[in-house]
Amino acid sequence: MTSLVSARNVSKNFGSFRAVDDVSFDIEKGRIMGLIGPNGAGKTTLLKAVLGLTDCQGSLSVLGLDPFRQRKELMKNICFIADVAVLPRWIKVSQLLDFLQSVHPNFSRERAEELLAQTHIKKTSKVRELSKGMVTQLHLSIITAIDAKLLVLDEPTIGLDIIFRKEFYGNLLSDYFDEERTIIITTHQVEEIENLLTDVMFINDGRIVLDSPMDELSDRYVELMAGPDSAEQARQFKPIYERDVFGKKVMTFEGVAREQLKGLGDLRTPDIADLFVAKVKGEAA
Amino acid sequence: MTGAGYAMDPKWNEDAPIYRQLRDRVVAMILEGVLTDGDALPSVRNVAAEYRLNPLTVLKGYQELVDEGLVEKKRGRGMFVTDGARVQLLKDERRRFKEKEWPLVAATIERLGLSAEDLLKDVGSSKPSSKSKKGENND
Repeated sequence: MTSLVSARNVSKNFGSFRAVDDVSFDIEKGRIMGLIGPNGAGKTTLLKAVLGLTDCQGSLSVLGLDPFRQRKELMKNICFIADVAVLPRWIKVSQLLDFLQSVHPNFSRERAEELLAQTHIKKTSKVRELSKGMVTQLHLSIITAIDAKLLVLDEPTIGLDIIFRKEFYGNLLSDYFDEERTIIITTHQVEEIENLLTDVMFINDGRIVLDSPMDELSDRYVELMAGPDSAEQARQFKPIYERDVFGKKVMTFEGVAREQLKGLGDLRTPDIADLFVAKVKGEAA
Repeated sequence: MTGAGYAMDPKWNEDAPIYRQLRDRVVAMILEGVLTDGDALPSVRNVAAEYRLNPLTVLKGYQELVDEGLVEKKRGRGMFVTDGARVQLLKDERRRFKEKEWPLVAATIERLGLSAEDLLKDVGSSKPSSKSKKGENND
């Protein structure tokens, strides 16, 4: 299988601090990968390495290129929305379109104007005159108009209200995504994106804690809500994490068949947020 | 970039995979007559965007319907409700009701000592707006 992104033993140090610690993974074409981790886990550093914005140890290949050494070539086929506003505040929307048209070989001005026509953004407005939600809309519109193979979104909806957030992901799926394109996305609002992911990767302290297709999570992980009488019996199957909810014990199991836990309480597949807590806190314990 | 439709955001339950719930929803729409023979299903892309689901999940749900013969794929045009899908579904649902649900209902009726007459009378009077046929409700 040829991977769109392939990382082998990738590490990145800042002085004595190891931000990314010996990470290996693959991302295939047409996937939507969610990269989930607490603040300071190394998400942004890893994404920067993928984008060629920082060098790293180990081997990293993106679209068959070395991102750091072949960044110019790579930039034709990837695009990026960062968690910090990068559009210059003084620029007019029309100037931004002029600029992209002149520098980016895969930018379609026609498409961008089509997308912007569906918003309330005026072409004569300056970025500084737009609301935060509109700036994100503008950003997504121009990026959707770039015929890129890989889109990297680092906390794209941070600071946006719920209506803009929903609209953002709706537009991403209707206007941008198809099976030829691949998306890597990080966010703290996991529950909003978990149904649109095909794959999920947890990162903590610079290390990958979990890397799995979404539809395999239900085979590998199960959550049991056990009453006080069955809790002790359930513990024999060695839950990776346990928490209290309304006097009941909620236990997360990895690699334990559902049949074995039958009769001990209600079973369900943990959602991503709960699973993340279980993996990260469970490992620390 | 419309904001329409968010009010009807579905609540997925955790017991069944989403593609399965999507399939059930389309089946309900066919049974209720919202979708009839030959109607187009909303495109995968639209459903994915509207509910913020991965397109593969939507496709998987639609594929179930194709496998069951309720929906057919027309190349380049999308998915359509198969002719006779509702009739087929009604047949299945009626059989399922008779085999699975009716025995339980019948047992309850017997336990409570209700007669067919009692029950049918109640069915009639609970629909006051329905046209009363000659010979019914004449007590």
